[in-house]
Amino acid sequence: MFLSESEKKITNEYLENGYIIQPVADQGALEWIRNQYIQIIQSELNISPTINPEQLLNHIEEYVSVDTLNHFRLRMIEGINALEPFREMYFKIARPYLEVLVGNELAMQLRVNLSIQLPNDDSSLLQVHADTWSGDSPFEVVVWLPLVDCFGTKAMYLLSPRASKKLNENFVDRAGKSSKDLYQNIRNEVKWLDVKYGEVLIFNQALPHGNRCNEESETRWSMNCRFKGVFTPYSDKKIGEFFEPITLRAASQTGMKYNPPKVV
Amino acid sequence: MKKIRGYVYSRPFMGTKVPQHVQNLVIRDYCKKHELHFLLSTVEYSMLGSLLILEQLLEELETIDGIVMYSLFQLPENIKQRHRIYDYTLNSKSTMHFALEGLSMENEKQKTRVENIWMVRHTLPHCLSFEGN
Repeated sequence: MFLSESEKKITNEYLENGYIIQPVADQGALEWIRNQYIQIIQSELNISPTINPEQLLNHIEEYVSVDTLNHFRLRMIEGINALEPFREMYFKIARPYLEVLVGNELAMQLRVNLSIQLPNDDSSLLQVHADTWSGDSPFEVVVWLPLVDCFGTKAMYLLSPRASKKLNENFVDRAGKSSKDLYQNIRNEVKWLDVKYGEVLIFNQALPHGNRCNEESETRWSMNCRFKGVFTPYSDKKIGEFFEPITLRAASQTGMKYNPPKVV
Repeated sequence: MKKIRGYVYSRPFMGTKVPQHVQNLVIRDYCKKHELHFLLSTVEYSMLGSLLILEQLLEELETIDGIVMYSLFQLPENIKQRHRIYDYTLNSKSTMHFALEGLSMENEKQKTRVENIWMVRHTLPHCLSFEGN
């Protein structure tokens, strides 16, 4: 393997832990994204632009109730994804890490997701799951980007590759009757991932992960988006309806159009 | 509100066959989200390779604002035919929409985007595949 020392370090970390947490590769892109969110929120909720952005995001529960949260979240997703530069900005944040872990000819999810988890709200929990259990290809990674500092139960958890392998070997017995049983079985083995604003998490979505009720006093805002090699295997999430090529290289472009000479 | 004609298939495309009423549901939802006036869909003939209905729709672009296909993979497999459809649409200053993918094409940049997706999908059967659960 002709990887550089820095590439080997990131690769080994990902293989050993199932994730990496790194400073964002483009601080300007991160600030652009957060500023866009702030503008969309101000417009949606008709609130003053003088409120500190960090304060507004961390305490959006002062403006949005549990009952209206999902509608608000969908409006945010719609608003941010409608901005033409958004997905490229998102990519820039993780680009060098993706090029090490996935490759330099990438497909990206068409719409970036957003999770908003209000303090003590147990209505929008993501039960333990691996994305590959419900139609994702094991060739995908998730780029998880917080807009606020995420820590404790305000963050997400992940089961390590080693623990996940053991779980898979004895899955039927350990899963019990429901995903709650499954979580109870692995709860002492999962790792909660503290990710600060300004950092990006890239994790293996084939490993069990999820969140619990946010028992911190602040709201979590995090985005997630899947990336994979353009020509690696797809599962239920197909090119076109879910993924789009974003860095097709010249050789692939000419190769896809190639026709041999006609001899008859 | 822009007037858009639907276009659905009665035959498989790219190895997939979707019931016509499901194709129409996806198209209706797309039009609603994008505030488009959905004119009823036309159904392409089931004979393999037929584009007769699509050709008719292209002529209709003089009186409507665009076409909404269920999927961009319903475009013809022949690259020249595909480019002729792109160019005809753009030259008539109309828009081609693709409901399943949530994409539209009304300029050269979007044309390249759609064509890249099409070409990759067309190439994937020649790449490594994954057996799921």
